[in-house]
Amino acid sequence: MTAEVYPAAGLVERAAAAFAASVPEHPADDGYFGAASVTWRLNGDLSAPLAGLRSLLVQALHPLAMAGVDQHSDWRADPAGRLASTSAYLVTITYGDRAGADRAAARVRKIHERVRGTDPLTGKPYEAGDPDLLLWVHAGLVDSVLACADLFGTPVGAAGKDQYVAEMTAAAELVGVPAGRAPASAAELDGYLEAVRPELALSPAAAESTSYLLALPALADELGDIWRVLGDAAVASLPGWAKDLYGIRDAREVDRTEVRQVLGVLDALYLGEPGVLEARQRIELRMRAQARG
Amino acid sequence: MREDWRRGRVRRGLAALRLAARGGARYATNAPRLFATAGEQRQRLRNDLALRTAEDVAATLGTMKGVLMKIGQMASYVDDGLAPPVRRTLGRLQDSVPPMSSELAAGVVTEELGAPPEEVFATWDPEPIAAASIGQVHRAITMDGQAVAVKVQYPGIAQMIAADLGNVGLMRSLLRVAAPSQDVNALIEELRQRIGEELDYLREADSQRMFAAYFDGHPTITVPKIVDELSTARVITSELATGARFAELADWPQEEKDLAAETMYRFTFRSLYEMHAFNGDPHPGNYLFQPGGRVTFLDFGLVKLFTPEELKPLVHMVRYLCVDNDPEAFRRAMEEADFLTPGAPLPTEQVVEHMALFYDTVRTPGPRTMTPGYASAVARRYFDFRNPLAPYARIPRSYVILQRINLGMFALLGDLSATGDWRAIAEEIWPFVQAPPSTPMGAAEVAWRSRRPEPVPVS
Repeated sequence: MTAEVYPAAGLVERAAAAFAASVPEHPADDGYFGAASVTWRLNGDLSAPLAGLRSLLVQALHPLAMAGVDQHSDWRADPAGRLASTSAYLVTITYGDRAGADRAAARVRKIHERVRGTDPLTGKPYEAGDPDLLLWVHAGLVDSVLACADLFGTPVGAAGKDQYVAEMTAAAELVGVPAGRAPASAAELDGYLEAVRPELALSPAAAESTSYLLALPALADELGDIWRVLGDAAVASLPGWAKDLYGIRDAREVDRTEVRQVLGVLDALYLGEPGVLEARQRIELRMRAQARG
Repeated sequence: MREDWRRGRVRRGLAALRLAARGGARYATNAPRLFATAGEQRQRLRNDLALRTAEDVAATLGTMKGVLMKIGQMASYVDDGLAPPVRRTLGRLQDSVPPMSSELAAGVVTEELGAPPEEVFATWDPEPIAAASIGQVHRAITMDGQAVAVKVQYPGIAQMIAADLGNVGLMRSLLRVAAPSQDVNALIEELRQRIGEELDYLREADSQRMFAAYFDGHPTITVPKIVDELSTARVITSELATGARFAELADWPQEEKDLAAETMYRFTFRSLYEMHAFNGDPHPGNYLFQPGGRVTFLDFGLVKLFTPEELKPLVHMVRYLCVDNDPEAFRRAMEEADFLTPGAPLPTEQVVEHMALFYDTVRTPGPRTMTPGYASAVARRYFDFRNPLAPYARIPRSYVILQRINLGMFALLGDLSATGDWRAIAEEIWPFVQAPPSTPMGAAEVAWRSRRPEPVPVS
């Protein structure tokens, strides 16, 4: 089973290894969010992998963001590696201490410096460090985490949503969104997504990348079934405007219980990887210590 | 009212004192090791991570995780029941379940027994001493002063697992990945049966009562007695047993291991041929050992009762193959039991050759040493549907459980490298032979046997 034939081989293993390595054993401080935050809860929710998949589907709808990925990333050759590094980044800024989060963010900003070019669809120049694009990617993630927790995970309620959006402005600022620009409430997030809509389109690169993603040739037949359930769930969870852009008129019905069962299986596979259980326990113990005051 | 309460407190105090007088001090230091040995089930007794609410239980054991854990438990009886990475994953999953918090466990007891455990029992130890597969075990002393083990089921687990088992499509996908060479339908059926019965503590208590009554007075077999008035659908209270864990036997002298193995063997086949009952839970955690071959059998969550009609062909098969040496009669018995399609285009010697492995330890007299390799080979052959017999062979529903003789007991005896003249012991037990005692343990059974009613004949 070589990476060429099965580019997604090791998806779970590599994401799990990245997770285990990114939850510090001896953090210097509580990081940018802290054990009492909604961010800690939601970024570790059962629905988180699905939120990741939905984010990619949403984020791809901005032609400039998509062009940057399409022209500068080799994710198709190694989707597992790309997924693992994205997940490691998110885990580090969520559960790591401030110094660790700062280092990880600095690395990402440095990579972004080299990502620039011209979008073939619109002819517009782009650069990954552009605050508008960073904001788009940020909003796609935040919206997806909330939507997937609502539909398939443990919903946090209206106040929890506001708190999450507000907390996550710290994540936006880490990658270079200027302070004050990221939405700070659920209403502001919705307003932003409404306002940005004229810029969105399904570019050929986006169409092709997302259909590749939803049918990763990597997975064995049986795991393919599981991946299909997740793909259907991610598609079903998209907002109406995103479904329209994708030309999805009748998204396949998904059954919440079944999606959760599949997420549970994924979670179990994840837990079976070395270090994951211990990392989860580090998080859980810090959350409990915090709750005790 | 107040007076009653005070009397209750005094009674509790007296009960605690009585226990102390019976060697409570020694008991207290040994207690944490009664069921769990160091390194085993570590996570499951981590109180700092205890599940505090029904939602915590759902997050840990819901969404297929409880079901996967059971698959892992089934697979842990054999070396190669599952693909190695899957086995490792499932093994870790099993270890990942923390205990219930004292409050959560007390809540279940309160719902089931009508009052908080501190009021129902004279003494209640809020710290669990062991993890059961879907619950945990607490020590307590009853108002009568009896030391007991109280098994408390995780709240909500029955409904969660029922929902997850209902997703047959996903179960199939999982098992096809996990165990590609095995009969997925048989495995699913097995799991459903297994888990459904294990969730029903009333049924389990009934089974345990039956075994306890049958083996009452046996020289080496102990089955803890159920305390009826403190047992319900989600709580089972039984006599507290003591002894070494299976893993600890590794350090015992080989003679002791052989004796323990002999007791396990006698227990299994006396139950089957005399009680027409089979305890299908061979998990290593379900035995406690004391020197001299004394074994306490715990956990009767999966007991199958056979009708004489169901047992008859099995008895015939072993008789024709191992005693009468009549291959054609053996084949006819297989057909009669519906194991083999009548008239299958296979030479009888091929049928015998394939099946002989299952009878390997009892076909010829003389001491034999069980090995892990033998247990694995039997398990492999059992689930292997690519063998030449497979198109014509099936395992009728009522016999599926018997595979655990192979998957379970033989695997444990293999781990012990137990040596015994299994044929000679089997002849003592086989209803069509009823040979005199062949070992000192067999001789010691005579007094117990003389008080037993005659077993119902099956052939």
